[in-house]
Amino acid sequence: MVIDWLEERTALPGLWRRFAEHPVPGGPRLRYVLPAVLVYLFAQQCVLGVLLASHYSPSASDAWASTVYLNDQVESGWFIRGLHHHGLSAMIVAAVAFLVQLAVTREYTRPRELVWISTVGLVVVLMALGVTGNILPWDEQGYWAAQVELGIMEQTPGGEALRTVVQGGAEAGNLTLTRLYTVHAFVLPLVGVALLAGIVVLGRRAQAGEAALEPRRAQPFAAGQLLVDMLAMTLVAIALVVVTVQTHGSELYAPADPTSGFQARPEWYFLFLYKLRMFFEGSLEPVATMVIPGAAITFLVAAPFVDGMAGRVGRMGVLTGLGLMLASIVGLTAISMSSDAANESYLKSMAQADKEAARARGFAKEGVLPEGGPAVYRNDPEYKVRALYKEHCQSCHELDGWGGEEAPAFDDYASRAWLAALVRNPNDKRFFGGTKHDEMEPYPETGENAIPNDQLDAVVEYLWQLSGETGVDETLAAQGKALWDDELDCNNCHELQAGAEGSGPNLLGHGSVAWVARVVRDSSKPDLFGEDAQMPKFGEDKLDDEALAELAAFIVQQREPKE
Amino acid sequence: MAEDQRPEARADQPPDEQPVDDGSRRKFMLAGAGVLGACVAGVTAAPALSFLTHPLRTATTSGSDAFIPAGKLVQFQAGVPVKVDLYADRVDAWNRMVEVKIGSAWVMKHGDELRAMSTVCPHLGCAIDYDAENAKFVCPCHDSFFSIDGAVQTGPSPRDMDALEVETQGDLVAIRYQRFKQGTERKEPA
Repeated sequence: MVIDWLEERTALPGLWRRFAEHPVPGGPRLRYVLPAVLVYLFAQQCVLGVLLASHYSPSASDAWASTVYLNDQVESGWFIRGLHHHGLSAMIVAAVAFLVQLAVTREYTRPRELVWISTVGLVVVLMALGVTGNILPWDEQGYWAAQVELGIMEQTPGGEALRTVVQGGAEAGNLTLTRLYTVHAFVLPLVGVALLAGIVVLGRRAQAGEAALEPRRAQPFAAGQLLVDMLAMTLVAIALVVVTVQTHGSELYAPADPTSGFQARPEWYFLFLYKLRMFFEGSLEPVATMVIPGAAITFLVAAPFVDGMAGRVGRMGVLTGLGLMLASIVGLTAISMSSDAANESYLKSMAQADKEAARARGFAKEGVLPEGGPAVYRNDPEYKVRALYKEHCQSCHELDGWGGEEAPAFDDYASRAWLAALVRNPNDKRFFGGTKHDEMEPYPETGENAIPNDQLDAVVEYLWQLSGETGVDETLAAQGKALWDDELDCNNCHELQAGAEGSGPNLLGHGSVAWVARVVRDSSKPDLFGEDAQMPKFGEDKLDDEALAELAAFIVQQREPKE
Repeated sequence: MAEDQRPEARADQPPDEQPVDDGSRRKFMLAGAGVLGACVAGVTAAPALSFLTHPLRTATTSGSDAFIPAGKLVQFQAGVPVKVDLYADRVDAWNRMVEVKIGSAWVMKHGDELRAMSTVCPHLGCAIDYDAENAKFVCPCHDSFFSIDGAVQTGPSPRDMDALEVETQGDLVAIRYQRFKQGTERKEPA
């Protein structure tokens, strides 16, 4: 009933019958499965691609952030992205295997020349899908791969204009991504559908012809061959799931940074071209990137015709050519992989890139500022405290060569060397020269008030001890204390009892996080810098306790040895 | 279609291997293919389901739960609603935004008491306006009218305007901004 109703209006049941009863020459065969596997993988790629597109934003500022979000935060996102990534590799393997099969069995000649050519076209389309797809996350890998690939494009005749059109301008940016996204998600898949339809429909036509020669040995497609096809698909699906789970999806590096030195490598199916290019330097480069690949594709397209026409000689020639081509692709790929595996600078830079990726993706969990991928580093606590410093401190206190000179600079703050230099000349611009605190006498090496270096070292060690730091030389500090109390009379101005007020700041715990925090809150406290202090007070309204503690810790950190 | 088997297709098989019932064998194979096909489709379909329904289980956007400064106390008088915009940090899927407008509220005094009401209409979420001449709140989309207290008078709105928590911090007014479910008689956080 329903079938008749549908038949009358859509002819769909009839189409199914034609599909199911298509005669398979010689009955179900394992060697017939590759086109079905290609159809399965292509359909799966389409569904996965649509799922990814539902969470991906193709703009230079959002591409990385949205990819990280869908990969790291949305449930199953990593699996979907990983399956899409590995699915393309599987398709390339299956398409090349089909080409090899057609050539070896000599099935690419009449009447299957167009099946062969469609498959060659499909391999090219798949590789183009790989190129465009890998750029879309706009991570380090994608960005640098795009630079290289657009550079190759530029070497062709009229290449500069071509690059500008593909890139959507003189530089890579928003339009590059929208354009490549359109090509990857719409244009190439449509071409792929057409080629795949060619492979299946024309292949079946040829099969029907063969079945007609031996009708007694032919069997209908459903269900024998259908079951074999399904078994093959299931095996491929299992393999894909295993690989995806084992690799935990697909790699995702730190956001694109035009100033980084990322060592981009193409996907495995492009390594042979990557290696080939290395044999052609300078102006010969287009030979590797254009001439040889172009010649190879021309040869592939011509192969069935040459084989069909030139008899035995043609057959041998074509097979030798195809064999050489396959051997050199495999060889170049192997060379490229093994040379990278032995390249220490490459391995080191990849390890560094992995570390950077983990860091950036960790920060991305809080959300990325709309400015774009690299803005993710502003989620770094170190960056946040630097921003606080810039906002509140930098206009007076210099650090790393930036900032005002009205107050002490914080480079190396309260280290032994800093303390020694301060005692030698407290009125230096680097210390209190820009402030009103000018009562402390300098203690130079010679002349009035002079103290020799060994005494200075002892006093500095004592100061180091007072700050609460570890690794104190106790004997030296004890000598320093004697000098402090008696000979140099430092204690006339600087008290060391908690809360005691002197004409100079109380130095108990000076330079510690707690001490610095007290100074920031209110440096004019009588036991600190007193009424003369010009530094503004930073109350709760400007810096809450947490921010204050972070800022103080940041200032204290400046004396730690730099990496 | 299943009945249309070609007998000659089996002619090459020895008689002892000839299947007893060709139709049922074919059905069995079809069912097997169907099961395998479903498994293969499941590889994509199962993660797709969890991927697409992720927002049912995890919040993808978040505003601020804190009280947001809305202006000085002296700005607000009895019987004169003032519309204030509320700014806070916001997370929207992969983006984090600093100090963006997350909503607005009508604020006024009732006697000494400070009141704030969301500008989002409880009906379908349009922005409620104030008609100073008639001292009424109006939703322009579907003509819901509210009294100056926010009580629904006429129109499709299922409930009164949504009051927001408000507090004074010294001489400042702060509001906790929330969104509520639309179209329901009870006021429930969205």
